[in-house]
Amino acid sequence: MTAAHILIVDDEPQIQRFLVHALTASGYETSLAATGGQALAAVARAQPDLMILDLGLPDMNGKTVIETLRQSSDLPVIVLSAHDQEMEKIMALDLGADDFVSKPFAIGELLARLRVCLRAKPAAGAASVLRSGALTINRAGREVSVTDQPLRLTPKEFDLLIALVDNPGRVVTHRQLLGKVWGPAHVEDIPYLRVFIGQLRQKLEVAGMPVESIRTEPGVGYRWGLPAAI
Amino acid sequence: MKRPAIDRPWMPTPRLHQLLGAVGVLIVAGLAVSLLRQWMPENVGLLVFLTAVLINSAAFGFWIGLLSAIGALATFNFFFVEPHYTFFAARPQDLVTLLAFLLAAGLTGFLAGRLREQVDAARGRADVLEVLSAATTDLAGAASAAEIVGLSARHISALSHGPVVVVRRSDEGLRAIVAAPPSFQAAAIDLQAAEQALNRGQVEFATAEGWTGSRMNFHPVPAARNAAHAFGHLPIGTEWRDHSYREQAITSVLQQAAAALDRLVLTQKAEEGRVARDRQALRAALLSSLSHDLRTPLATILGSVTTLRDLRHSLPPAAQEDLFNATEEEAQRLARYVEKLLQMTRLMTGVSGDFHWVAPADCAEAAVARARRAFPAAQIRVDLPDLPMVRAEAGLLEQVVFSLIENAVRYAPGLIEVSGAVQADAVSLSLRDHGPGLPSAVMVWLASDELTPGMESAGLGLPICKGIARTLDGALSARPAPGGGTEFHLSLPRPAQGEGA
Repeated sequence: MTAAHILIVDDEPQIQRFLVHALTASGYETSLAATGGQALAAVARAQPDLMILDLGLPDMNGKTVIETLRQSSDLPVIVLSAHDQEMEKIMALDLGADDFVSKPFAIGELLARLRVCLRAKPAAGAASVLRSGALTINRAGREVSVTDQPLRLTPKEFDLLIALVDNPGRVVTHRQLLGKVWGPAHVEDIPYLRVFIGQLRQKLEVAGMPVESIRTEPGVGYRWGLPAAI
Repeated sequence: MKRPAIDRPWMPTPRLHQLLGAVGVLIVAGLAVSLLRQWMPENVGLLVFLTAVLINSAAFGFWIGLLSAIGALATFNFFFVEPHYTFFAARPQDLVTLLAFLLAAGLTGFLAGRLREQVDAARGRADVLEVLSAATTDLAGAASAAEIVGLSARHISALSHGPVVVVRRSDEGLRAIVAAPPSFQAAAIDLQAAEQALNRGQVEFATAEGWTGSRMNFHPVPAARNAAHAFGHLPIGTEWRDHSYREQAITSVLQQAAAALDRLVLTQKAEEGRVARDRQALRAALLSSLSHDLRTPLATILGSVTTLRDLRHSLPPAAQEDLFNATEEEAQRLARYVEKLLQMTRLMTGVSGDFHWVAPADCAEAAVARARRAFPAAQIRVDLPDLPMVRAEAGLLEQVVFSLIENAVRYAPGLIEVSGAVQADAVSLSLRDHGPGLPSAVMVWLASDELTPGMESAGLGLPICKGIARTLDGALSARPAPGGGTEFHLSLPRPAQGEGA
């Protein structure tokens, strides 16, 4: 297997500098872009396997880059965002970015996200049985069990669990979860979602699943914290 | 200003010199008639005397006119009418002539007096108008409450022909702050009346003669309850012909004073608002710059260090070296940023305007030396003449030059030239780069009143430079340099000649 090719889109040379060293040392190929325009051109030309995109680009908004990119490609995108770019980050994720890392970050965090995103994304609903740790989900039978003990979930809780476990290690935004489980009319009902996540967490915990199974990304969404296997 | 006459000018009390003057005129008329008697019919002689009477009447008033008429007719009768040298009037028509003389003299005296009265009134009005217009001009230009109060007091004193006292209420109580003339001392009873006026928000009128109380009218200014100032002036006696006119003028000056004081308060508020807005803007600039100037170094340092720790074994030595260098550079950038942050905080909390003598050229040299240490690769050429000293703070001045150099190093690669010049009323430090030129949005912002650019991801450098320039009463400007690049000018006011250096 050839080394994955990462496109780094950041206008700060210093950030590019250490990212290139770190990614090269980790066995990736890298190329650089400093503006949104360059990034889109590089995607078309070099066909990278993943894009690391800074949201504060000088020429165009990071969101615009993702919007334009998503019209023609499902290239995995990890956005680098600052804490005061919260709204932009959420919009970027809703628009189709795969994950985010907040600046400043330790390199291990970025590399972990990178590995998750580079893993082939399972086509949603492809596998009839999902496993993650002690958890087993039978999609067709809508049955859930933890260490072979059946776990009773309401239909909404089941849909919520599926939406999370289908994307192991990746952030799923509030809007994405609400849209998937309750439908597009309910994408703003975040307090509602919070209640259901609370119930689901409690049931999983009682059944013996680890606490970090469902991780909260404050303000953004939730993340299934365990690796999943088909 | 001339005091208007109290008495009625069309019937003035005769004075001795007027009487002598009238006699003189009659003597001249008598001499003329006696010299020309041979050629002059008698009735023409009579007309000459009538003319003399009219002149006296017009010049000296009603009573002297009447006396002149009698005197003229007696003289005429005595010298020129048969029998000569007697006052005996043989003919009945002489009595009619006397009556006609008296009538003409009285009428002329009356008309001339009325005319004089009108002239006096017009002159008085002109005087009052002059005071009013001077008051308007003065008050419009007044820059402090003390100035406004002082000027108003002077003008009211001119209008009321008497002393004026201004009483101010403060936390310590009532105090006469201004008197015109300055030697005038307000009595305790005056302060009492002033307090009454201030408390009631109404004019406290002078007490009549014979009663205890202040002799002055006290007006609260502004004319409302709990006003801060009370203006006291002697009432203008009703015997003065233009007293009502003058009272109106005084009211008008007081209203103008109130408006001027009001304006002053508003101006102060506006100024406070502007300062607060500036600080707010600086604060916003500070926040928006956090991402630009703080986050990138931090991200680089954290990223480089964790890369070195986690991937040490797979990094080639050159890459490790580069990461160490990056960490060091960014740590230094952070240090510079913290320096700027401190400057900014000082600008926000307000630098005291208490500056001292500073040599701008020395500050620029120090900034260049610092920049050479921070950016060893930068090409900086310095050409500074001996510049006169200015009132400033060395650290602030150095920061401006250093920030401009830092900007140039970052955005305008190439030669950086630092120079200085002396103008008639300003000293300027200039920095010229050979870069691509400033974005037009930045140009527009620099020329504007705004302290911070509304742009995102803008650094702190230029806003700080602009803020410092403003704090030092100077200005920062930029223009495209001939042959490419940008020229920045920091111009500082040059203190008046002889004041220093």
